[in-house]
Amino acid sequence: MFLLLPFNSLIVNLLGISLTVLFTLLLVFIIVPAIFGVSFGIRKLYMKTLLKIFAWATLRMERGAKEKNHQLYKPYTNGIIAKDPTSLEEEIKEIRKSGSNKALDTPEFELSDIFYFCRKGMETIMDDEVTKRFSAEELESWNLLSRTNYNFQYISLRLTVLWGLGVLIRYCFLLPLRIALAFTGVSLLVVGTTMVGYLPNGRFKEFMSKHVHLMCYRICVRALTAIITYHDRENRPRNGGICVANHTSPIDVIILASDGYYAMVGQIHGGLMGVIQKAMVKACPHVWFERSEVKDRHLVAERLTEHVQDKSKLPILIFPEGTCINNTSVMMFKKGSFEIGATVYPVAIKYDPQFGDAFWNSSKYGMVTYLLRMMTSWAIVCSVWYLPPMTREANEDAVHFANRVKSAIARQGGLVDLLWDGGLKREKVKDTFKEEQQKLYSKMIVGNHEDRSRS
Amino acid sequence: MGSSQSTSEEVRELVGKTGFSSDQIEQLHRRFKQLSGNQLTIRKENFNNIPDLELNPIRSKIIRAFFDNRNLRKAPTGLADEINFEDFLTIMSYFRPIETNMDEEQLEHCRKEKLRFLFHMYDSDSDGRITLEEYRNVVEELLSGNPHIEKESARSIADGAMMEAASVCVGQMQPDQVYEGITFDDFLKIWQGIDIETKMHVRFLNMETIALCH
Repeated sequence: MFLLLPFNSLIVNLLGISLTVLFTLLLVFIIVPAIFGVSFGIRKLYMKTLLKIFAWATLRMERGAKEKNHQLYKPYTNGIIAKDPTSLEEEIKEIRKSGSNKALDTPEFELSDIFYFCRKGMETIMDDEVTKRFSAEELESWNLLSRTNYNFQYISLRLTVLWGLGVLIRYCFLLPLRIALAFTGVSLLVVGTTMVGYLPNGRFKEFMSKHVHLMCYRICVRALTAIITYHDRENRPRNGGICVANHTSPIDVIILASDGYYAMVGQIHGGLMGVIQKAMVKACPHVWFERSEVKDRHLVAERLTEHVQDKSKLPILIFPEGTCINNTSVMMFKKGSFEIGATVYPVAIKYDPQFGDAFWNSSKYGMVTYLLRMMTSWAIVCSVWYLPPMTREANEDAVHFANRVKSAIARQGGLVDLLWDGGLKREKVKDTFKEEQQKLYSKMIVGNHEDRSRS
Repeated sequence: MGSSQSTSEEVRELVGKTGFSSDQIEQLHRRFKQLSGNQLTIRKENFNNIPDLELNPIRSKIIRAFFDNRNLRKAPTGLADEINFEDFLTIMSYFRPIETNMDEEQLEHCRKEKLRFLFHMYDSDSDGRITLEEYRNVVEELLSGNPHIEKESARSIADGAMMEAASVCVGQMQPDQVYEGITFDDFLKIWQGIDIETKMHVRFLNMETIALCH
């Protein structure tokens, strides 16, 4: 019993010293730069090292594959079939023309009409545009994370050792570090904003609030080891505007908010999120809705308009897709935010999946699992483009305006511009969409039928 | 991922049976896994996840064609409950593009198979004839989305078309002669001259591999 005591105290001492050293390092290299918004360039160096390692690993895999005569690369496809662009009318006319004994001016229903629909149906079963947007993007080479290993088999001992080392580094060194940072960031946010809330309204309060927010978001950015490149910062959103961006994950908020001071919009949650939200709103006016108010579109539009018209209030941050998409395309923008009439500042966010896939597949992973996956990836690398502001033109309706903004974002980020609704992740196609095709076809037949009965 | 030996054997077998290339088979296999949710078989419900398919007026007939025992070459009637990957490929092979090196006989065979697929789509009770009821059923489905067309007009359109078909197949009919339905041979007669081999196929994109360069 007594023999253990000095032994114990030695361990306790060592523990104490190492923790202190760790915290000092943390403070000096991460937190202080975050407060002042400067960077030592550690993350960029880390990224370059990782790229070199990936390149080496790929070379080894290529060599190994050649030796064993394997096919290493998956075929690159943006869809496996070439869809025929002819329309319903053209096709049916063509088929009927080639029929032997029918005159062109008295067409009616024919057996061959079923053709076009049959083929279109087959094409969509083989490959459709929508379903593939809701699963994670596939990589062309392996980035040493087992979660992205679809095709790459055991090649060599060295590679496996490297992978093992990677696991060790990610889980035993980076993960605790990141959790500690995240914890620091979130608690500083709550404490800081609550304290700022006690200050009297005025320029000093605004100044403090802005810097507390920025500081905490920057710490969170470092907690995820996010390496972000901002382009065209002169186009950053100003007061009285709405900032609109494509949505890939909840991290988008942290990425944008660490470079600018925004007012958030959202529903009040319970638990930790709720605590954070309530604290934030003490320091500056964010727009939080009760659960019941969210359904009422007029109320939402009213409050947003009110916020936007007050020029002293911050630009609002909104994600009009309404759900997370896997960052290969941009889906339909909901028109609500485009009806308000404020200046829209579009922002395009594109992640590089090689260091860690940021897409949140909410049907597969819950929020906590997702955050853990983020924190055990190598890093989150992304590019943010601030696009020049856009306003709704005089005779343009909200839907058209929304589509215009969406195309601009898709073009800048190199994403595919789709008309489909992101809500299809969870729901079925609306009936109004279904009827379009059938209306077109039946117009062809009934129209002709009427002509015939007249003659 | 499993090891190479057994899967490439299977792939080669499938290439021989269905005529797709091994690249195409691999692509279709990934699509199959996506549709089945990583299970080994697909059921009718799995096709509900394709939004584009919802727009198609004859979607139920197309889905049914996948489970039709005649198309699967398993039995002359009835529907399967679920299909595996090989069955999936068998159905897809009806839409394979024509190869340029096919001779007359192969072309004829190809055409017949494709037409047989369409015939099965019309002939839902598998009795070998497309009756007036079945014809009406197809026309109604195709016109079903339009609220302005009543059932009556859909019916009369179908009846008119059926009469035309009868006149092609049987020629002039006696007043009390009943036309029982379009048989497969009559069906072939109707389609004579219509060039379907080049229309009834889905074109695969050329697969290119990309090299890694940073």
